[in-house]
Amino acid sequence: MKIKNTKTRVMRVILYVVLIALALVMLVPFVWMLSASFKLDKDVFIFPIEWIPKNPRWRNYVDIWSKIPLMKFVVNTVKLTLIVTFLQLLTSSFAAYAFAKLDFKGKDTLFLAYIATIAVPWQVYMVPQFMMMRSMGLADTHLAIICLQAFSAFGVFMMKQFYEGIPSELCEAARIDGMNEYQIWYQIMLPLSKPSLSTLTIFTFVNTWNDFLGPLIYLTTESKKTLQLGLRMFISQFGSEYGLIMAASVLSLIPVLIVFLSLQKYFVEGVAASGVKG
Amino acid sequence: MKKRRLLSLMTAAAMAGSLAACGGGNQGGETTPAAAGGGETAATTATETVEAKEGQTVMRWSIWDKDLTAYYQPLIDEFEKQNPDLKIEMVDLGSSDYQTVLGTQLTGSGSDFDIVTIKDVPGYTTLVNKGVLEPLDEYIAKDNVDLAAFKGLTDQITVEDKLYELPFRSDFWVVYYNKDVFDAAGVDYPTNDMTFDQYDELARKLTVDVPGQEVYGAHYHTWRSAVQLFGILDGKNTILDGTYDFLKPYYEMVLAEQEDGICQDYATLKTSNLHYSGAFSQGNVGMMNMGTWFIATMIDKIKSGEYTDCANWGIVKYPHADGVEPGSTLATITALSIPASAPHKEDAWKFVKFVCGEEGAEIIAATGNIPALMSDGIADTISSKDGFPADDGSKEALQTANLYLEMPVSAKSSEIEIVLNEAHDNIMTGNTSIDEGIADMNEKVGAILGGGQ
Amino acid sequence: MGKKTIDPALVQSKLSVWEPRLAELQRQAEAETDPKKKLKLGKQVDRTRDKIRQIKTGERFSRQTKRDMVAYSFILPNFIGFAVFTLGPVIFAFVLAFLKWDGNSPMEFAGFGNFALMIGNTRFLASLRNTVIYCVATVPLTLAVALGLAVLLNQKIKGRNFFRTVSFFPYVASLVAVAAVWNMLFSPAKSGPINMVLYSLGVAAKSLPKWSADKDWVMFTVVLFSVWKNMGYYMVIYLAGLQGVNGELYEACALDGANTWQRFWYITLPQLRPTTFFVTIMLTINCFKVYDIVYMLAGGSVGVLNESAIVLVYHIYEEAFRNWNLGYASAVAMVLFLMVLAITLVQFRGEKKYAN
Repeated sequence: MKIKNTKTRVMRVILYVVLIALALVMLVPFVWMLSASFKLDKDVFIFPIEWIPKNPRWRNYVDIWSKIPLMKFVVNTVKLTLIVTFLQLLTSSFAAYAFAKLDFKGKDTLFLAYIATIAVPWQVYMVPQFMMMRSMGLADTHLAIICLQAFSAFGVFMMKQFYEGIPSELCEAARIDGMNEYQIWYQIMLPLSKPSLSTLTIFTFVNTWNDFLGPLIYLTTESKKTLQLGLRMFISQFGSEYGLIMAASVLSLIPVLIVFLSLQKYFVEGVAASGVKG
Repeated sequence: MKKRRLLSLMTAAAMAGSLAACGGGNQGGETTPAAAGGGETAATTATETVEAKEGQTVMRWSIWDKDLTAYYQPLIDEFEKQNPDLKIEMVDLGSSDYQTVLGTQLTGSGSDFDIVTIKDVPGYTTLVNKGVLEPLDEYIAKDNVDLAAFKGLTDQITVEDKLYELPFRSDFWVVYYNKDVFDAAGVDYPTNDMTFDQYDELARKLTVDVPGQEVYGAHYHTWRSAVQLFGILDGKNTILDGTYDFLKPYYEMVLAEQEDGICQDYATLKTSNLHYSGAFSQGNVGMMNMGTWFIATMIDKIKSGEYTDCANWGIVKYPHADGVEPGSTLATITALSIPASAPHKEDAWKFVKFVCGEEGAEIIAATGNIPALMSDGIADTISSKDGFPADDGSKEALQTANLYLEMPVSAKSSEIEIVLNEAHDNIMTGNTSIDEGIADMNEKVGAILGGGQ
Repeated sequence: MGKKTIDPALVQSKLSVWEPRLAELQRQAEAETDPKKKLKLGKQVDRTRDKIRQIKTGERFSRQTKRDMVAYSFILPNFIGFAVFTLGPVIFAFVLAFLKWDGNSPMEFAGFGNFALMIGNTRFLASLRNTVIYCVATVPLTLAVALGLAVLLNQKIKGRNFFRTVSFFPYVASLVAVAAVWNMLFSPAKSGPINMVLYSLGVAAKSLPKWSADKDWVMFTVVLFSVWKNMGYYMVIYLAGLQGVNGELYEACALDGANTWQRFWYITLPQLRPTTFFVTIMLTINCFKVYDIVYMLAGGSVGVLNESAIVLVYHIYEEAFRNWNLGYASAVAMVLFLMVLAITLVQFRGEKKYAN
């Protein structure tokens, strides 16, 4: 018994050492961002890196608000991200239920069509898509970005896979109890899929928040632009303000981290298992 | 339960509805919060929401770096003063992906741009090949615009006897030097008449290789232009020739310098993403060849106190090969075009003519930038700008003899550009030897030139 | 619906078609030995039976049709948006692969001309080679690391939330920052941290790799970078998948005296099958579509990828937006698509087989 105890203790120590080492490696880019955000542009890429700047430039965090209409960009990005995430969650989990738990004509073909579009790089259908959007009068509107992002095949695919992990017996039992499919989706599947809904929320949020190419092509009016386009405004033809870019990037990470941290509590073991018991 | 579901669906519908509303009706009248902060931003965001008065025509002009380019607004102000019935609205497509976004916007017939800025020659060639630009020859003939004033530049951008753009800005390459570095080494400043050998010797004299306190005699940015194009300055070869053996001595010089620590290692520069301004402003670089666009940056950043270690600077003409007159250098132009789909072509031409003409040139020069139309007076305007080096050599460096475009126009420009970039990278990183690199260029460019005809 | 008056003659005539068909199908199903075909025939039998029942009762829609319609109603909200904004343009892009088009001039039919151009294009061949190498190396590595990390961080350990968040960091942090840090660690200079280690291990200064500036090491560097940057992302998916694993199974297993490894192998892994299927497909697709990280690591200030580092999507980008050869770019995308499709179908098959 004693031997086993020491053995587990040693294992624990090794585990923590590995984890801490990993955490350090993961944190380096963030530390770099933070450090660069207090520097003048000319010093950002100097090698070897000066991790703690001698004269930290706090001004960078003030300048980013006045040099570009950052507040407007933040508002736009928040609006787009919230709407896209909401629509994506709703429509994906809805469609995924049919793909995972219902049997219908053309299921496999339809599903393959979804996956197939994921495999086509956006660069090749961007031009036809843009021309179509423009002819619909959607060029330079936020609606274009929403349409582009909210109905992604990715969400459907992911939710479907998670739903398949939930035992079908639950649905059968519910059907016998007289629930219709919509009720099963709402009352059984949704509560059971909190971890996967959280995952999809995180991913959609991060993707929309950090999306650059979509807004770049579609949004040309300054008052409609997003945060990521704003960051690029510090990069000009003959020089760039990486100190400012990093200051704004550090700030733009905050919402992402808040979302991640607040949804983490749903990554708790046994959600589905308890569902089976109940 | 049912009610809650219904509610959530209704919220979704309501949100979708409100989206449609804010997506469509946002065109004008919106004020940005940032308009209050900083005079510069306020002025420029205002133009965006400009509303046409009765009978006014609004023309959209595609640009990049709106808030960082000093001459856009003065140009527009003066033009609108002279043409009260016309309004110019700037559309900033961003600097880094400008040509991609512009190309997409001009695709098909739905674009509403009246004037577009063309960033570089490969971008120009692409759009000409695509057939989306309006030939300007008729307008030029009609208004008797004197192309000779562009000193041959317009000949270099004529495609099959047609001209699709008119340059308004023409930057050329000079050597920037840090006087403090020369003083510390006790070496005389460079002159406007130096051969490549003299230049190389000078760079070697300046170099200090004490670890931790290195001083580099020369600095070459990672662009191919910075090294490769030394080779075309004698006027005997062009970069579209298809044979590149003439580049060998210049690569030998720079690689030897790199080997001896005279300049920073290309591979390190490339992977660290160090910008040339970052390198020069550290104060440990003696000489750096770069375009005249850097003059405005230097003046501004020294004034604002950001650059402290290179405040004592000067410029001289490019070094030259033996037996060639000094003053031959590389040029890069920025130009205006009218898209074939432009709604107001005649009015757009008025603007193009104004910006590329003498009045436009004066306005551009007053901001410390080099207009394409270089007259004697304009060189004085630039060199008398506050913050420009006071010595006579720097003033004289603005006089050029021959200007060679960094990339001449050809239907194959962008394909050849890729080959040249790759070979440059391979030679500079040591992935291939100079001979292999040159052989590679000869073979691939030969194939491109041969394949199309 | 059922209140409609039934015309007995019509019903009879319909039944005379359907009933023999049912009998025939049933006979075939009986005789079939291949289990897969048998299953398929069984489904057909059910559908036919359903049809006959519908004819007899006179309902307008069969039960199956009703069930289908419920299913379609679930898919529809997403599908409308998906079909209009994604599927449509994608199909258009497929057609483009057989055309010559610069986005402006009239389209010309090119047949397989675009595909023929690829064979002679050294940049295409290089990008194909690099992409395949990249995928073969990155997919299994990322998969293993992400799964390991997820299992590790699913245990009850102190600071779990902190470690989870930190692992997600490289994925969300600005690519400029992440690439800068990586290129700093793997600096080609002698003073670069990794090279310093190699140097002290006895590697000669001359033969130190130049990492992302070195034509022989650039893909290696890109693969390592990509694993590091993306493992947090796939870890999150696995973490969510792990929450669906039935805890009772572990208890049962512990009673049988299984060790940690056996529990992982016999319970965790099979239970994670749908997640692994998803992760593998997404990972494969994303690897084939890799672009921005290679560009940031090896593009340099000019932003042009050399033949030693060029990947398919970069080649597509450069052909589509530098040269406006939209037809050719689509053809390249088609090649990429077919490769991904082949791999996906194999995985799809495997998944189906396993599920049955």
